[in-house]
Amino acid sequence: MAAVSSINPAHVPVEISRANQHDVRIRWQDGHVGVYPARYLRLRCACAECVHEFTGEALLKPSAVPVDVHPARIEAVGRYAVQIRWSDGHSTGIYSFDRLRLICPCETCLPTAGA
Amino acid sequence: MADPVTESAVLDALRKIEDPDLHQDIVTLGFVKNIKIDGGAVSFTIEMTTPACPVRERFNSEAREFVSNIPGVTAVDVQMTSQVRPTRADQKNQLIPGVRNVVPVASGKGGVGKSTVSANLAIALSQMGARVGLMDADIYGPSIPMILGVKEGPKVTDQNRIIPPVEHGVKIVSMGFFVQENEAVIWRGPMLMQMITQFLGDVEWGELDYLIVDLPPGTGDVQLTLCQKIPLTGAVIVSTPQDVALKVAQKAVVLFQKLKCPILGLIENMSYFVCRHCNEREELFGNGGARRAAVDLDIPFLGEIPLATEIRTASDDGLPLVISEPESPYAKAFQHIAENMAAQVSVQNMSGAGQVNITF
Ligand SMILES: Nc1ncnc2c1ncn2[C@@H]1O[C@H](COP(=O)(O)OP(=O)(O)OP(=O)(O)O)[C@@H](O)[C@H]1O
Ligand SMILES: [Mg+2]
Ligand SMILES: [Zn+2]
Ligand SMILES: [Zn+2]
Repeated sequence: MAAVSSINPAHVPVEISRANQHDVRIRWQDGHVGVYPARYLRLRCACAECVHEFTGEALLKPSAVPVDVHPARIEAVGRYAVQIRWSDGHSTGIYSFDRLRLICPCETCLPTAGA
Repeated sequence: MADPVTESAVLDALRKIEDPDLHQDIVTLGFVKNIKIDGGAVSFTIEMTTPACPVRERFNSEAREFVSNIPGVTAVDVQMTSQVRPTRADQKNQLIPGVRNVVPVASGKGGVGKSTVSANLAIALSQMGARVGLMDADIYGPSIPMILGVKEGPKVTDQNRIIPPVEHGVKIVSMGFFVQENEAVIWRGPMLMQMITQFLGDVEWGELDYLIVDLPPGTGDVQLTLCQKIPLTGAVIVSTPQDVALKVAQKAVVLFQKLKCPILGLIENMSYFVCRHCNEREELFGNGGARRAAVDLDIPFLGEIPLATEIRTASDDGLPLVISEPESPYAKAFQHIAENMAAQVSVQNMSGAGQVNITF
């Protein structure tokens, strides 16, 4: 019987944990592990407050983001994404697993990691 | 005198029985419980993952046969029970804590028979002994109350909890209970989201093995909200056999996969016509369109339902066929699909897929 293998296993995380005090570590179903510096993730928030919905223009000013910004809480959104509540109070950003994998900053992924 | 019968001999014998969906033997799967050996008399329990198990009888007879073949065994007593596994045991489902599995029924386009299928599946599962709820989430055209002949609305407790009416053993809640038909059309995004969340959370579902959700057609806000608010076990997609319909069904499949909601499988409705005089099958749109589409999409094919006036009139009368004519070929089609769906639910829950562990 066919399994639901059309879901790309590379884009399904198994574990989301702390790499250190502030940074996020994601272990994926295909075995890949990526560590996301907290501020790197915050600056890549794609919510309507941070990125213009139609033009795609960046609305978030990096200078306005505290240097030590970090996730206060990470929660699952259904089966496809997480919502991150940031120490600076921002909480509208939803990070889909597909996108998290795309922006993995590890040495292997970095050359292709999107904005 | 023969050697005494040992527990490991019994387990070895039972290891020969393989679950066709989970691809493992029933001992490894942990289905075998309560082994008692008293001289030559052996008794044990086989706990399946669903009461709607198509191989229940086979397991039972094979278990008897294999165990009685062990030298020294004089009597075998097999108890068959079931315990439906919940989706994501690791993550609390706070909105509907007693509900083990949520299965949305979706389609690419309207009128393909989602509501008819949802209603008959829900009742078929309940007839097999499962605890079942049916939520009519089609805010634009709720039709479950009519199909099931629901006569009274829900009761609301002093604490504002909604007690769903029970019809044919199934707990039923419909958007139609709460919303005027022309009112819902203007709802979008956040408002809809709030409505559905409330709708889910305020209902006193109690303990359910399966909550079937009849969705509006297409891929809109209701689908998105459900995927965000509760861990769905997997979606069932209904399509008719025409090429166009199957193309649209594919869109629905893609949407659910994007939201990482697994697909339990594809159902083909109105797929063939049974001549009432000679009982011959007549293919209306060529044979096996949805079956092939399921293979192409790499999702399970759950079965096909014939086009039959009886199915429509039963719905119009508020008495689905699985109730009024449980022995008819139409009812059998629904029962067969219910078993396949329950098997796929078990596959999802035993595979551990999609269980992300968040510790932050
Ligand atoms: N297998 C069948 N044979 C004959 N008639 C059927 C069959 N399945 C559904 N119907 C009839 O087709 C019509 C549409 O079915 P139904 O309401 O279940 O579809 P739906 O997908 O829920 O539609 P909507 O998109 O409007 O919610 C109904 O009149 C129903 O009785
Ligand atoms: Mg409908
Ligand atoms: Zn943001
Ligand atoms: Zn990487």
